[in-house]
Amino acid sequence: MAFRVLIVDDSPVMRALIRRVIVLSGLEGAAFLEASDGREALDVLRAQSVDVVLTDINMPSMDGEQLVRCLHADAALKSVPIIVVSTDGTESRMRQMLSLGARGYVKKPFMPETLRQELERVLGGAYAG
Amino acid sequence: MPDSEWHGLLAAAAAEVLETMFFASVYGPPQAGADRAGPRMAARVGFAGTPNGVLTLSISTPAMRALAANFLASDDGDPLPVSQLEGVICELANMICGALLSQVKAAELFRLTSPELLPDDAPCPPFQPHISLALGEDAGDGTIDLWLDLEPHAH
Repeated sequence: MAFRVLIVDDSPVMRALIRRVIVLSGLEGAAFLEASDGREALDVLRAQSVDVVLTDINMPSMDGEQLVRCLHADAALKSVPIIVVSTDGTESRMRQMLSLGARGYVKKPFMPETLRQELERVLGGAYAG
Repeated sequence: MPDSEWHGLLAAAAAEVLETMFFASVYGPPQAGADRAGPRMAARVGFAGTPNGVLTLSISTPAMRALAANFLASDDGDPLPVSQLEGVICELANMICGALLSQVKAAELFRLTSPELLPDDAPCPPFQPHISLALGEDAGDGTIDLWLDLEPHAH
């Protein structure tokens, strides 16, 4: 089944890594969109259909925390699931982001399998390859 | 927390990141007199919280090339562009810093600054690194040096 992933990270190499991990993980049918911060992500989300957002927290202009807040407050976008992918693995940060509306949290560094499992969990088993 | 404990956490964080996302073997402190000649790259990332601080890392350029190729799964034999190398070393610093702070039990959230590449003429801290790690053949047999500068009175 095809699905569209929006990868939000200010690091181009991190976006490339996440793309590659998803492709190699066996999740079939992924199409990728990219944004370098929350503001760009909102522009993409308002223009195109997206099945899941993977976002970093620490970004310029609009960070991941603000992005999650904006999506949760937007009636048209609040149903789009968000998975946070961040170097910040503190319990307090994870609790905060999940309470704001993120559906999942992957701490960097991560094993490729961890990202795949989190995507499958959030998207549902129909997307598994 | 005493400095020695911080440095232990830093070594563990660096090893976790290098092994998990860069597929590098980490052998602990390099042997005395290990060769540090040749070009090196450096990056740093700051953080605000309790405490505030700056993490700086320096690594031999061939080792960084090997790590970047592992990270990006580049197998086409062509050297990676410098812009990608710079992006990967910044992400390496970012992840080590995040992994370090994730082990710290702090009452408030930490905020990381965007990692920055240090130009050749901007020296690393003028004292011995707090942590040095020898990397395996899969990372060009290089060494990585780490400095953790914590704000006085905060730890």
